[in-house]
Amino acid sequence: MTSDHDVIIVGAGLAGGILAGVLAEGGRRVLLLDRGRSLAYSEIPGDHLRNHRLTLYGDHTTPDPAGHPRVFIDGAGVPHTVLPHDARYQLNAFTVGGGARVWGMQAWRFHPDDFRMATRYGVPDGSSLADWPIGYADLAPFYERAEHEIGVAGDHAGTTHAPRARDFPLPPVPRSPSAEWLARGADRLGWRTFTPPLAVNTRPYLGRGACIQCAQCIGFACPTDAKNGSHNTLLPRALASGRCTLVTRAHASRVLTDGSGQAIGVEYFAPTTTDSATLERRTARARTIIVSSGAIESARLLLLSASPLQPYGLGNHGDHLGRHVQGHAYPIAYGLLPPDVESSLLGPGVSVATTQFNHGNPGIIGGAMLANDFVKLPLIFWRQSLPPDTPRWGLANKRAMRDLFRRGIDVRGPVQEIPSPDSRVTLDPAVRDTFGLPVARLSGTTHPETVRTAEFMRARAEEWLRASGAERVWSWPAEKKFSAGQHQAGTCRMSADPRDGVTDPFGRVHGHDHLFVCDGSLHVTNGGFNPALTIMALAFRTAEHLLASP
Amino acid sequence: MSLSPSQLTALRSLLDRIIPADDFPGALAAGTDTYVLRHLLGDGSAGAHVLLLGFSQLDAETVARHGAHQTFATLLPPQQDALLADLAAARPMTFWPPPLAAAPWFHRLVELAHEGFYADPANGGNRDAASWGMLGYAPRTTPERAAP
Repeated sequence: MTSDHDVIIVGAGLAGGILAGVLAEGGRRVLLLDRGRSLAYSEIPGDHLRNHRLTLYGDHTTPDPAGHPRVFIDGAGVPHTVLPHDARYQLNAFTVGGGARVWGMQAWRFHPDDFRMATRYGVPDGSSLADWPIGYADLAPFYERAEHEIGVAGDHAGTTHAPRARDFPLPPVPRSPSAEWLARGADRLGWRTFTPPLAVNTRPYLGRGACIQCAQCIGFACPTDAKNGSHNTLLPRALASGRCTLVTRAHASRVLTDGSGQAIGVEYFAPTTTDSATLERRTARARTIIVSSGAIESARLLLLSASPLQPYGLGNHGDHLGRHVQGHAYPIAYGLLPPDVESSLLGPGVSVATTQFNHGNPGIIGGAMLANDFVKLPLIFWRQSLPPDTPRWGLANKRAMRDLFRRGIDVRGPVQEIPSPDSRVTLDPAVRDTFGLPVARLSGTTHPETVRTAEFMRARAEEWLRASGAERVWSWPAEKKFSAGQHQAGTCRMSADPRDGVTDPFGRVHGHDHLFVCDGSLHVTNGGFNPALTIMALAFRTAEHLLASP
Repeated sequence: MSLSPSQLTALRSLLDRIIPADDFPGALAAGTDTYVLRHLLGDGSAGAHVLLLGFSQLDAETVARHGAHQTFATLLPPQQDALLADLAAARPMTFWPPPLAAAPWFHRLVELAHEGFYADPANGGNRDAASWGMLGYAPRTTPERAAP
């Protein structure tokens, strides 16, 4: 059977856009599907009640939230049907470009030991901690490529946790006075700090302008399009090649397989015409199918694609599909700057970091990078950053806001989670989406070792603020909870041996010749860093592997 | 659905105590009542109609403490604050018909008021960015060249 496409990619997020760009430029005819739309800057307004850091009443990148619930199983085993703006939903942006339309842009390489956690630390009871089937050296060239083709600003000499062969293409973001204050505090502790890598145009790059340091960064689209992702780099390259067809508002419902179980196409629902509210069922066929929908929806699609030959879902022969869900525990220490140091309201805001505690912490498994935070919205500050003994209303609260808004400081970091096989995505037996398909059911909780590492890192974050001279320091203990969110990972883990995971070391689903997964789902462990650059590096690597394949 | 004149008066007096005016505008000068009303009446969000009943309950609490000649709006600010502190501490003096309950009701109104007051002006409760002016905050997103 002939087909109009060589490759179908399900999901035009950070990874999907890269796959499309490399494959289309390499001569492949690509069909790129995304359930969201390509949103103009003006369609993602500066709404402080509806953004990806505060989804009180929704957000501006989620289409049709009501028709797409998930089911969250709480600690007592009680199911809750939840919509995207509910934290329990574990939302990532559903739009072309994915989370990178509105992200905080931290673009970290993982530490070499992040790929060999089981070897370095052993396997804790009850965990599914494992080594990746690839190492840092396998990804290094693709990290470098992502830094240059997406555009990352960083401090080459200072970023030493992972070997680097080539400088960043963009100079690091400027340091705020409060970040300099934190750097001096770290010096007193003997901790090394540097300016963290961010995927932002610190000067004009790749045909777009520079960041204007606005005070409405994370959670929002960028007013100068200086916030880099695949939506403004590789995806435009894919479309310019003439070989990529992007279909938006397209909801994949099934990977189609033939009588031998091999993937041959994708069934999806898409608008009958571009602007139509009516969706019709379609099928598309291609030699290669790549699922790139985020760790929750990628696992769900493979589960939905069960067939008589693979009754538990595609790639689920080893009972790993949908398991080992990880995000990041995120300990935060809050403090107050001394009166002579003002917090900057210049964005993005993250401009000092340490990787001192990513590994080598006595008695602790793994660790985390620590950094200061983005410029805060006033409402987020009111909700999260006032000292805990501040009255919540009245003149006392208003005066605290006035006096402390410019004095708040916090230090936080993404803790490398210890995966648990019981932290899972399955198909809910009762609740269905608008197409009548079972929705994702999220269950399980944090492994105790993750809590222990998070508590260790919380103490380091407090120590940093105290050594810097913060007038007050406070924080909240880590809790066990289902963890996925914007850093969701792990549900289609790579493995060398088909029994140990869902895909091979290139993301090819074990037992399938032409079916791939490419997103955070592949991460065996999720590093003590924001995972986006690793997702991007894997996308470049998988795409090049496909181009090199006959 | 709408508020009675007395409920509206109670709502405005309540907001004036949750975010009072001082050297800087409070909730009423910033139009936060508009935001809260829009939320309670406009979007039909779950539970909004239950919250409306709380404003009548506020007057009932006033009568229970200060006699039938008073409403919440006619109390002195310290009396209002003392009453609200009782509600915040779940110490009502009248029966709040379930699912209405004094402390959760008050805490929800505190949340709503601050959402309106500190959010962007387009949400309707932060007129002329009054709260942002107090904090020295501005998004400063106007680019030299428009984004696509």
